Amino acid sequence: MSIAPLTSDQTDALQEIVNIAMGQAGDSLARTLDVFVELSVPRIRLVHVSEIIKTVYGMVDDREVVTAVRQSFYDNLNGEAIVLFGSSGCLDLAVLMGYASELSTSGEQELLLDVGNVLIGACIGGIGAQFGVDLSFSPPSIMAERVVLETVLVPEKLPWEYSLLVEVNFGLENSDFKSHLLILMAEDGIESLRQSLERFMAAL
Amino acid sequence: MERPVPSPELLDFIVDRVSVGVLVVDRDMNVVLWNRFMETNSGRSAAEVVGQNLFKSFPELPATWLERKITNVFVIKNFSFTSWEQRPYLFHFRHNRPVTGGIDAMNQNCTFLPVKDANDEVVYVCITLFDVTDTSISQSMLRNALRSLADASNRDGLTGVYNRRYLEHLLSQEFSRAQRYGNMISLIMLDIDHFKNVNDTHGHLAGDDVLRNTARRLRGCLRDIDTFARYGGEEFAVVLPETPWEGALIVAERLCQAMGSHPVTFGELALPVTISLGVSQLVPGIPRYEELIRRADTALYQSKFSGRNRVTVYHEENTSSSEASE
Repeated sequence: MSIAPLTSDQTDALQEIVNIAMGQAGDSLARTLDVFVELSVPRIRLVHVSEIIKTVYGMVDDREVVTAVRQSFYDNLNGEAIVLFGSSGCLDLAVLMGYASELSTSGEQELLLDVGNVLIGACIGGIGAQFGVDLSFSPPSIMAERVVLETVLVPEKLPWEYSLLVEVNFGLENSDFKSHLLILMAEDGIESLRQSLERFMAAL
Repeated sequence: MERPVPSPELLDFIVDRVSVGVLVVDRDMNVVLWNRFMETNSGRSAAEVVGQNLFKSFPELPATWLERKITNVFVIKNFSFTSWEQRPYLFHFRHNRPVTGGIDAMNQNCTFLPVKDANDEVVYVCITLFDVTDTSISQSMLRNALRSLADASNRDGLTGVYNRRYLEHLLSQEFSRAQRYGNMISLIMLDIDHFKNVNDTHGHLAGDDVLRNTARRLRGCLRDIDTFARYGGEEFAVVLPETPWEGALIVAERLCQAMGSHPVTFGELALPVTISLGVSQLVPGIPRYEELIRRADTALYQSKFSGRNRVTVYHEENTSSSEASE
């Protein structure tokens, strides 16, 4: 299946929407955690399934051991979001999120699910809010735990060819904590996004 | 034609009777709604709980964490979740499988929903609580089954001790750990002396019994951290982590003596069984774990050539053997 890329107007509008959503997400997170949140400018691009690993590698340190949390969103916009957490700085976050400072394995998993949910919900909810649509979210789940990146995404097992990829890096001030948010929308997701963008631009 | 709208009474009825826990709290953590599922399972009526602070009514709740979690929904205006896999339950409720369950409380998946007013401000958080006890029980049965399958695939069918597959897996793991952190490992290879005679003279059932009894007796002489495996035929191996060859020699001599000191019985028969052993230690320059096996084997054959029923330690220059003292 071939996919028409977004027009340059559509891409510009999406970039603007995502910028605003991420800013709001950073703000929500900062208010939740009461700490300054550092985030990168979101990058948006269309990737072929064969490039996904290389693209994701480009975001994180080579051979980094990560834990991945995934969550689906649906209703009006549909796709999946993945948050990759590096192995350091978890405890800083635990204290900020009201968890006990001694984390068991399941405590750490729950913390990462919680933070993943906050990040994903704030970012994607923010995109939805600008489109004026309500979104639903599945519960987050642990996709991979303490593995090298290659085992998180296996291209042969992905049932799509092209996906729109939105990537943002999040960090906390004075902490080693780092996370990478990937929003993936496969072909049918891109189509519904295109329609939302059309309506959004028509309403401007 | 006008679309029929469900009456508020109907909606109230559904919220109250649905077999899902529904509770709603406001910003001050006061309970606004408490449905029948929550009443039945907690033993606390809506009249008791509604209007009261959630944490005053249920002091056993993990207050710091849960208040944070609920507050985040007010601030971020977004869904939040908990799963039984990380946190088995929010409220400690009995489950309805007291007989077949085998777990202590109802397992729950929870969803925290922001309830917004016309200005898009979150005024309440609605918590729904799903009973997933059945899922949890079948998952843990599955986990146990997988664990015993994994264990079975690591065991030798005849003697019940670890098999060669597991031994090699363990050795390769210990080997790379030793290379990274410089840990010490020793290996003992041992073989039952003249085992073929047992089979030829008394039959294979006797041979099997000798293998089983030997394995049991030797296993009893080892520390918990040592791994004992049947390498194949009448050959066994012991991996001794954090142990230099001097320590392994003491263990090997103990094993040798344990077999030589009294015979193995098979029915009416008392069969004297001795073993020959070889010891090797991981030293820098050994390129692969297979070399550790080869060295212990070399020492073992030295024991055989020197008259059996004894231990030999592999040294690069010569291999020194010590006869078991009677």
